[in-house]
Amino acid sequence: MIFWEIAKRNIRIHMLRSSLAMLGIVIGVVAIASMGILGNSLVATVSESLSSVGDSVIVSPYTGGGGGMMGGGGGGGSSVNLKITDQNYQQIKRAVAPNVAIPVLSTSERMKVGVGSDDIVATIYGVDPQYIPDLKLVLIAGDYNNGNSGCLVGSTFAEDHNIKVGSRISIGSDGEKGTLRVTGIIEERGMSFDLSTDSAIVATQDWFDNTYNRNDYDQVVVKVKEGQDTADVKTIIEKQLNKRDKIVSVTDSKATLASIYSTFGTITTFVSAIGGISMIVAGVSIFNIMMMSVNERIKEIGIMRSIGTQKKEVMSMFVYEAAIIGVIGSVVGGILSILTGYAISALMLGSTKYLFTMANALSVGEGICFGIVVCLACGIYPAWQAANLNPIDALRHE
Amino acid sequence: MQPVIQFVDVVKIYPLKAGDVMALNHISFAVERGEFISIMGPSGSGKSTLLNLMGCLDPPTSGNIFMSGIGVRAMNDVELTNLRRDRIGFIFQYFNLFPLLNVIENVNFPQMLKSGKDVNPDKAKEVLHAVQLEDQFYTHTPMELSGGQQQRVAIARALINDPDILLCDEPTGNLDSKTGSSIMELMTELNRKGATIICVTHDPTVAKYSDRTIRIVDGCIAS
Repeated sequence: MIFWEIAKRNIRIHMLRSSLAMLGIVIGVVAIASMGILGNSLVATVSESLSSVGDSVIVSPYTGGGGGMMGGGGGGGSSVNLKITDQNYQQIKRAVAPNVAIPVLSTSERMKVGVGSDDIVATIYGVDPQYIPDLKLVLIAGDYNNGNSGCLVGSTFAEDHNIKVGSRISIGSDGEKGTLRVTGIIEERGMSFDLSTDSAIVATQDWFDNTYNRNDYDQVVVKVKEGQDTADVKTIIEKQLNKRDKIVSVTDSKATLASIYSTFGTITTFVSAIGGISMIVAGVSIFNIMMMSVNERIKEIGIMRSIGTQKKEVMSMFVYEAAIIGVIGSVVGGILSILTGYAISALMLGSTKYLFTMANALSVGEGICFGIVVCLACGIYPAWQAANLNPIDALRHE
Repeated sequence: MQPVIQFVDVVKIYPLKAGDVMALNHISFAVERGEFISIMGPSGSGKSTLLNLMGCLDPPTSGNIFMSGIGVRAMNDVELTNLRRDRIGFIFQYFNLFPLLNVIENVNFPQMLKSGKDVNPDKAKEVLHAVQLEDQFYTHTPMELSGGQQQRVAIARALINDPDILLCDEPTGNLDSKTGSSIMELMTELNRKGATIICVTHDPTVAKYSDRTIRIVDGCIAS
């Protein structure tokens, strides 16, 4: 139609002006969409490293209102309220049945891998082998440990110290706590609420009890069965054990995860909102050039109206103009935001594998739609004003 | 046969802060089909107001105007706009072509408004032949044409929808006298072929071409 043609030609003869307005929209779309991409990739990265957690409730000794962390010494020397007694454990076990309650021992210890190597410090967990499948520890090599002096090691630990199945680790300074034989290597688990095994050793509970002379636990991991609410399990444990004094603190992995995701969501929204400000600035510049376009064509509008052009046709001409700028600017912005998202992901997350996801496509789509909507919204008033000029005054305009 | 334009006791008052101005004071006249009329009068006499009312750009304060028998007073903006498009051809002093469109597109513009889509340029070429513009200019933009050529294009644009009437506002006011007279000869020829023409001017040489002259003084018809 002729008005579409006029809109196109008008943009073309004012190429510089139109390009600058498009640039504004491009920047706006890139700001919004690439922030969205960054947020999505961040969430994807974090959720991958948290994915092995599953639904668990962690019970650890109550350490007072934000008080001291557990000492590294181990060996039962610490005050009694920093451990979970066997009696407490039995209470938990009864309370959460039929969910599995796994008692876990842990300590930090010096150790040596191979003859003549330097001392290293790492965490040793003590877990009864019957619970290993419940903890979902997947082995990439070897077997679950049989016998007392067998152990599993995390993949990072194995890589760092060149450990293979069958390697021996001497525990304690000068091997005073004996030797453990590596029977399996655990697949990388990432951040975890229960056992952070990647840089640690998992030994048997018997070995741990004998070596450190322990009859209590450092934490209890409750694996909640599917279909049951972790929050309910948390409440049951708290009711049972914290009746009089607060002895344990209970962490609900699901709730913690939810709060982590909601924090990321808030950050993404906030950062995108900052991108939104640049879109508003772009909108103002569209409004500006549309007003200029109307003002310099008042006489032309007067001629059009006097020879029989309807108001809505005049309006459509200016809306087309805003739409062309909006669509071109937004689409270019969308393409650039994928590139920007790629660069940001590569620089800040060190990986671009989360770039081509549904969430990112949605972010880019949102940015493009928002850009077009802003352009149209900012073009409507100038177009309306043009359409409603008095034809006689417009004709007389010089 | 109904007159092309009929003014019945038309009054036009412009309300201003300093007091109302009566631009047209109870005017009645009729223009018959095929007439060539000039309207003359000094500045401020109400000439332009009369033109705006005849062109359906402005409604009368009282009285009524009939375009081929249809009263315009009761019409809304959409109807008046369609009336201008279909029944009136405007010719302006400053040609008023669209600088973004070429000659053919300018001439076709009212036809496209009427049909709502792109149209065959044959009719535009036919009308351009009638106003004696050579073929080689058809794809030029208005800026590349002389004043006389531009006015010919403007006349072609005014004729394209076969209007009942051609309304001219000082059609030669921006042309030299030689070009002006050639434009007036073209108008005369169009009139001979049946076009009804009303020409608002203060140039007596233009008025000479018309069959009859209406003189306006202080918002009234003097003769």
